[in-house]
Amino acid sequence: MTDVLGQLESAPAGSPRPVGWRMLAASPLTMVGLLGVIGILVAALFAPALAPADPGAQDLTNILAPPFWDEDGSSAALLGTDGLGRDVLSRLLYGARNSLVISVAAMLLGASVGLATGLFAGFFGGRVDSVIMRLGDVQLAFPFILLAIAVLGVVPNRSAWHLIIVLGIPGWIIYARVVRSRVLAEKEKDYVAAARAIGASKWRRLFRYVVPSVWQVVPVIALLDVGFLIIMESTLSFLGLGLPPPAATWGGILAEGRRNMVVSTWLPILPGLAIVATVLSINLLGDGIASVFDTNVVRGGFRRIIPKGAGQPALQPADQALLDVRDLGVTFPTRAGSIRAITGVSFDMAHGETLGVVGESGSGKSVTGSAIIQLIDPPGRISSGEIWVEGEDVTRVNDRRMRQLRGRSIGMIFQNPAASLNPVLSVGYQLREGLRSVGVPRREVVSTVRRILTTVGIPDPDRVVRQYPFQLSGGMNQRVMIAMALAARPQLLIADEPTTALDTTTQAQILTELVELTDQQDISLLLITHDIALVSEYADRVLVLYAGKVCEIGPVESVISSPAHPYTKALLESVPRVDATGDRLEPIPGELPDPSIVRTGCPFAPRCRDVMELCHSVDPMLTAIEQGHHAACHLWSEVEVVGS
Amino acid sequence: MSLLEVRELSKTFEVRGRGFGRGVGQLRAVDGVSFDIDAGETLGLVGESGCGKSTLGRAVVRLLEPSGGVVRIGGVAHESDDPRLRRLAQIVFQDPYTSLPPKMRIGRVIAEPLRIHGIVAEGEVSDRVERLMLDVGLKADLAGAYPHELSGGQRQRVGIARALAVEPELIVADEAVSALDVSVQAQILNLLRDLQSRYGIAYLFISHDLGVVRYMSHRIAVMYLGRIVELGPSAEVVKDPLHPYTRGLLASVPTLHTGRPTVRIQAEPPNPVDPPTGCSFHPRCPIARDVCAQDSPPLTEWKSGHWAACHFALDDHGVQSNQNDPGDQS
Repeated sequence: MTDVLGQLESAPAGSPRPVGWRMLAASPLTMVGLLGVIGILVAALFAPALAPADPGAQDLTNILAPPFWDEDGSSAALLGTDGLGRDVLSRLLYGARNSLVISVAAMLLGASVGLATGLFAGFFGGRVDSVIMRLGDVQLAFPFILLAIAVLGVVPNRSAWHLIIVLGIPGWIIYARVVRSRVLAEKEKDYVAAARAIGASKWRRLFRYVVPSVWQVVPVIALLDVGFLIIMESTLSFLGLGLPPPAATWGGILAEGRRNMVVSTWLPILPGLAIVATVLSINLLGDGIASVFDTNVVRGGFRRIIPKGAGQPALQPADQALLDVRDLGVTFPTRAGSIRAITGVSFDMAHGETLGVVGESGSGKSVTGSAIIQLIDPPGRISSGEIWVEGEDVTRVNDRRMRQLRGRSIGMIFQNPAASLNPVLSVGYQLREGLRSVGVPRREVVSTVRRILTTVGIPDPDRVVRQYPFQLSGGMNQRVMIAMALAARPQLLIADEPTTALDTTTQAQILTELVELTDQQDISLLLITHDIALVSEYADRVLVLYAGKVCEIGPVESVISSPAHPYTKALLESVPRVDATGDRLEPIPGELPDPSIVRTGCPFAPRCRDVMELCHSVDPMLTAIEQGHHAACHLWSEVEVVGS
Repeated sequence: MSLLEVRELSKTFEVRGRGFGRGVGQLRAVDGVSFDIDAGETLGLVGESGCGKSTLGRAVVRLLEPSGGVVRIGGVAHESDDPRLRRLAQIVFQDPYTSLPPKMRIGRVIAEPLRIHGIVAEGEVSDRVERLMLDVGLKADLAGAYPHELSGGQRQRVGIARALAVEPELIVADEAVSALDVSVQAQILNLLRDLQSRYGIAYLFISHDLGVVRYMSHRIAVMYLGRIVELGPSAEVVKDPLHPYTRGLLASVPTLHTGRPTVRIQAEPPNPVDPPTGCSFHPRCPIARDVCAQDSPPLTEWKSGHWAACHFALDDHGVQSNQNDPGDQS
């Protein structure tokens, strides 16, 4: 999966990217929010044109007139009149105008102060950071309502400006905190260091490099902030701290309505509905926009998809191989269409054999491993083929059986052992749990833990069992993972780049131990790696994958010494070797293929030295070159045709 | 006079313990390192993770302030943000995904150094950008693309073009090909070699991969726990290593000769906050004697141009290498 994603990220220029607008439109709730917000904006902007009456015009002859749906209502005042005979609809429309202007202005004030302080605090750090963040702590501790009373209750001529300041200032710390944490993350990235190395000044680094990467967090917070500020503005108006009368505000109408609610129940309800509808619309729209920015959402949880025909008797394949993979295909559905991670992959493994699977990003080597143990990352799924493990097709067995097979028949170790272990549980606890789950009797668990840790070369198992994964080095954690996997005595162990994250001296120690242990216990080892040299040292046979297809498979000695596929050949020539003379390397031209582009013919054709006309149109089949050594290349299929 | 002179360079980090009041430790990431690089030369710097090689590289281009020692480039010890330093020495980073500003078009990324230093007139910037892109093997029409639209190899080429823009005399390549796929890695290595022969650039080529370092370097320096333990011509260091750590490192590198490598170095590097006494390698060293736990051996020139920090660099060399030569086993 990481392979596939890695490739997706590096898709060449011009590949289609999901359009944010289309994603927004796809969510009905977001559209409701958007329509609501547009409605409020129209009401606010065109209040003078829309309002049927002057919002301040009193008509004491027609006070507390009911709205039109009431039997006494009239179409003259659609939503009735208030205690001074003013038209409620007009007052609500002007109230929207006042609320929105004040809230948006307050948001802009808070957002600008917050953005600036957040940027400085994060980028300059040290004393600047301490002062700003402590001010923020004070701000958060200070009751908002006290500030409001202190300012608004005291100033003689209360104006919109006072409200904007009182509402806007307290919000800055929210923006500042988010911006600061984004800046802290961005400024440590290499591109900022690179900017310094090319001589960019502090200010240039801040404004040209950091700001463009962090400002996008502001609009979403700002939108949600406006919703909150509308409520706060209404609260102040309700308390009589808002715009002074006769200005129309929702809070003010609410307060008036409260005084008359015994006779006119609708009066407080109308502004209340206006507030709820506005804030809800804003929040729905804000959530929708936030989910567009958050592109990592995977819809649908982790679920194994069993192909049609499941439940049929799983027929034993003809030969007695431990593992028999036949015509395996795995696809990853994406918005841009289905990506074929692997296609038509077939191979088998004998008991006790070590098979090396070699490939680069997007080759499908990891996907092949996770397909065998049925742990393909969602949304990937097996689209074709069979995987026979000891006479059972694991693509068809039910989940319960699969759980039994995992661990007991098929074990797996990953590249990053620390991520596979739980950080808050001791190593010993996790080992004991693991052993219990594969059926080691309770009495023997503790002694088994000590024994297996010793076998993987951990010098003091009694100390290690009390420690937590973060207290151990990467090499030690990987040893723990190996111990855990081997303790279940699996028939097949899948090791996906088990030493890639480790130093070479540790790699040599661990792989040597691993291969010795699997040899002793007659466990088949599927060693997945990008390093063909590693495979040449530890594996019996090697499988070379390129762009999700098998290029070549055969005994290590023949593949390394006389590679049949041009890709294998080129791969061997492009690795700088410590024992080489320093002659110029022959790199493979071009780039790895984009997995989202489906092409016909051999996937390696565009980069191949020996490419022929045929290669672009016809996908070569695996052809036997000698006993047990196969390659998928037209160079060899031609030879066969000529020979036969 | 060498282009780059590094003398007794140190970089110490303060390390805080977990929890309250656990005290502060000192991590000597780089501990009194000295070496030279001539104009047009490549010095390979190899070592395992945590040995201080990246810290050393960043201290050389002053992205980190050294705690002690001197870095002279072209005979001058510059202030850290001196524009003259920035035009002399550049750096190429490991991760092609984080080393380019995500929201900046490729053309502007490469134009930035040209504008900052006023290297060409504003009207000629785009021509120069185009030439730099061709120099590193990028099509000029990628100038309008954003980094996320490029492959890893293409991004690394952009990073190299950005470094080239100031016409530097020294480039620190910090694991510059480690994140790339094997088939792309060789392209970038050859590109760096071609640029060196065309423009006479010197490289401090940092990598954990001995094969890559061997391919790129005239001389190799081996680092262990903040110090250089061996330094010499690259063919000699690889074929005839003097330090037992270098020998162990070489033995652990997987090669295409089938047959398993000899595990010569046991255990893992010690905690750099609390390094061993004497020679810091002695707890893992197959030939350590009593003296190694007490005296730290200085970097000594045992053969012409070939230095090693080991009390027994010459004595045990023949014995050890015959006993454990991988060739004997296969």
